[in-house]
Amino acid sequence: MDIHINGKTIPINMDGDTPLLWVIRDELNYTGTKFGCGKALCGACTVHVDGEPVRSCSFPLKAAEGRKITTIEGLNDKVSVAVQKAWVDNHVPQCGYCQSGQVMSAVALLRAKPKPSDQDIDNALGGHICRCGTYQRIRTAIHQAAKSIG
Amino acid sequence: MKQEDINLERRGFLANSGLFVGGLIVAFHVPSVLTKAMAAEAPSPKTVYPPNAFIQIAPDNTITIVINKLEMGQGVNTSMAQLIAEELECDWASIKSISAPVDPVYNHTVFPMQMTGGSTALSTSWDQYRKLGASMREMLKMAAAKRWGVSDSEVKAEKGFVTHPKKGKLSYGELAEEANKMQMPLNPPLKKSKDYKIIGQSIKRVDAVEKSNGTAVFGMDVRLPGMMYAVVARPHIEGGEIASMDEKAARAVPGVLDVVKFGKGKAAVLAKNTHAAKVGRDALNVRWKENQNSKASTDDMMKDFRERAEKKGLVADERGEVDDKLKGAKKTIEAAYEFPFLSHAPMEPMNCTVNFDGKTADLWSGHQMPTMDNGAAAKVLGIKPDKVNIYTTYAGGSFGRRASKTSDYVIEACELAKVVKKPLKVAWTREDDMRGGYYRPMNFHKVSVGFDDKNQLLAWRHHIVGQSIMANTVMAGMIKNGIEETVVEGVAKTHYDIANFRCEQTRADTPMTTLWWRSVGHTHTAYAMETMIDEVAEVSKQDPLEMRRKMLAKSPRHVAVLDLLKKQTGWGKKKAPKGRAWGLAVHESFGSVVGQVAEVSIEKGQPRIHKMWCAVHCGQVVNPEGARTQVEGAIVYGLSAALHQQIQVKDGQIVQGNFNDFPVMRIQDMPKVSVEFVKTDEPPTGLGEPGVPPSAPAVANALYQLTKKRLRALPFSRELNA
Repeated sequence: MDIHINGKTIPINMDGDTPLLWVIRDELNYTGTKFGCGKALCGACTVHVDGEPVRSCSFPLKAAEGRKITTIEGLNDKVSVAVQKAWVDNHVPQCGYCQSGQVMSAVALLRAKPKPSDQDIDNALGGHICRCGTYQRIRTAIHQAAKSIG
Repeated sequence: MKQEDINLERRGFLANSGLFVGGLIVAFHVPSVLTKAMAAEAPSPKTVYPPNAFIQIAPDNTITIVINKLEMGQGVNTSMAQLIAEELECDWASIKSISAPVDPVYNHTVFPMQMTGGSTALSTSWDQYRKLGASMREMLKMAAAKRWGVSDSEVKAEKGFVTHPKKGKLSYGELAEEANKMQMPLNPPLKKSKDYKIIGQSIKRVDAVEKSNGTAVFGMDVRLPGMMYAVVARPHIEGGEIASMDEKAARAVPGVLDVVKFGKGKAAVLAKNTHAAKVGRDALNVRWKENQNSKASTDDMMKDFRERAEKKGLVADERGEVDDKLKGAKKTIEAAYEFPFLSHAPMEPMNCTVNFDGKTADLWSGHQMPTMDNGAAAKVLGIKPDKVNIYTTYAGGSFGRRASKTSDYVIEACELAKVVKKPLKVAWTREDDMRGGYYRPMNFHKVSVGFDDKNQLLAWRHHIVGQSIMANTVMAGMIKNGIEETVVEGVAKTHYDIANFRCEQTRADTPMTTLWWRSVGHTHTAYAMETMIDEVAEVSKQDPLEMRRKMLAKSPRHVAVLDLLKKQTGWGKKKAPKGRAWGLAVHESFGSVVGQVAEVSIEKGQPRIHKMWCAVHCGQVVNPEGARTQVEGAIVYGLSAALHQQIQVKDGQIVQGNFNDFPVMRIQDMPKVSVEFVKTDEPPTGLGEPGVPPSAPAVANALYQLTKKRLRALPFSRELNA
């Protein structure tokens, strides 16, 4: 089958039950998407499928057929740039391992809700775990990004 | 480090890492005499660190700083670079940081090896890194003066240039090669704190961009040409061996390349990708041999600990007449505290990539103790340590786990590589990581506190029963007369002025492997001390903050922290809003004192933490925002454990396996945290860990105000949901 990822179409010869995460990481070498739990509990593997945030560790390759996948490497719009700048400005990343996933969810949130409330942020980011405890700064950064987009 | 570098073969990797590039960058050079001398003995204060091993100045004036500590989130690649940049008088924008290779010149200034741990990165590099910057600055000045034929005192170093009122200016890049030939000044002048321009500034992390756009490379991301992915079948408790397995089923999984028995009774499935290796490993359906641990349970272990607490332990600290005073007490509190095993659960599960061709080996991982990992790998592979190259990537958290006292995960990967002799990466699943041992030890505290007829504190007897971390390791020598600092720290030598006090320790081993977990012994000792101090304040009808201040009057750092905390919260004047309560705790660890006030409520029977105020005395703060992130994170780490986490064993198996049964606080649970620092220019003390210990007791003391129930068995969920 073909996979449509970050604007490219690439033929893939892998078992259709393979979780999308491992296609992305081990086959396509987009290692920005991380493995954290394998059970959709931590959000480190979050990518966009047709613009929606999805836990790629629990999303089979075959379900991606005909759909557009975006990983952290494929982010380049105004919202993404604003989010990534806000991440840097607010000293968000510590170890950084979970942050690709957090950024993917933050970008999806801001595209859907340009002025999110704290509750919106909890709903959109509540599925993510950060062991370094960067949550307070993630919240501030999302509000800052929202403001900067205008 | 970018992915492209990783994909290159070793020689290419080195070239791209910025090290060993002749011509373009001033060559990395450590005199071999010096290297040998350092290998032979631990560094002493007299040890000379050649600046060009740490500072590489390119002709275009970009400056690469070699960081001899692992960047695992604590910000060393930024804060340690700030130390050099301050003295070097360069433009911060020209700075980049890279991780050091393994070499004795990069050894810790206190421990005789290259390592990161004990919240020592800044405190023990403070003099070293500033001096390196200052020496290089002086050598650049000397080189310029020589070229111009003027005296050293006529030239100035500023913003990456050496200047002279008449001769003009020369960039550091132009001078670097000549500067490295100058006599290195052993005691270069260091700046006074009032003149700092970079130290004390909240400079943005040098790794923030690559950690926000997915390009940062962690051990898990390393790929070598032709590399196989390996997932290992390990016993839950070390020492277990495979009795039988279904090798055929594993080989039938698409993508599986091989099944290999290796090490002591383990097996690995090697595959074209991580997923196939994992499915293959699970398909092995391993049955483990019965052994003495097959029926092990944490319930039995705790029962054993409880019994041992009834007998007298080894005395770790004693003053006054504890037993007599307790006998004569008018009122006594007897308290028993239970602390479970805890997994570190860093976001990046353990992993190690090895390329071994039978003669030399290259290893990639977030190495926290690279000297030990180097030696361990060499021993397993049967080659000399200098035939092992260690590459340290970013670590996706550690919290102690990657400072493996036995190099367990490195040895395992090398044992497998020795059999396979092809490039491979051993990847651990979350369950492998959580069930792979090396936990914060389980502990039991028995505390007896006596009061006189006026309800004033008379005596305190504190017995800690717990497992050793250091026994049977290279650090065993740090156990003195049976007393292990990592078990009793925080109770023994307490700063509280208690006239009659004794701390006892009883070592009680279990089949479980143990390790330091962010703040080590303080994870449990601060909890017992600070919740019991709160009980003492209640019985003696004193304000918990004022009583602590009185009992800690001889400790200026504690007093300063309590005063700052009072200012932050309005303690004594203000009160928590209706339905909420405040709790306080203060604790010293790793040389720093942290005080915290928690504001909590109970919602649907569960604790809700609304706010945490933190006052910190950690000496000179090098990067205030970076320092705040450490304390904020420490609170999340400490409270996640206190609220929810435990590792239990039943029938020799670890019960918990993933974030569903080992929960972590999430964004919706995050309190508002405000961190302030006591202003001082004393040298820095630790900060990666000291924010953890007071968080749980502060919350417990606040919860008590609401429930009138003392929580003494952790996690809180055990008692709150009982």
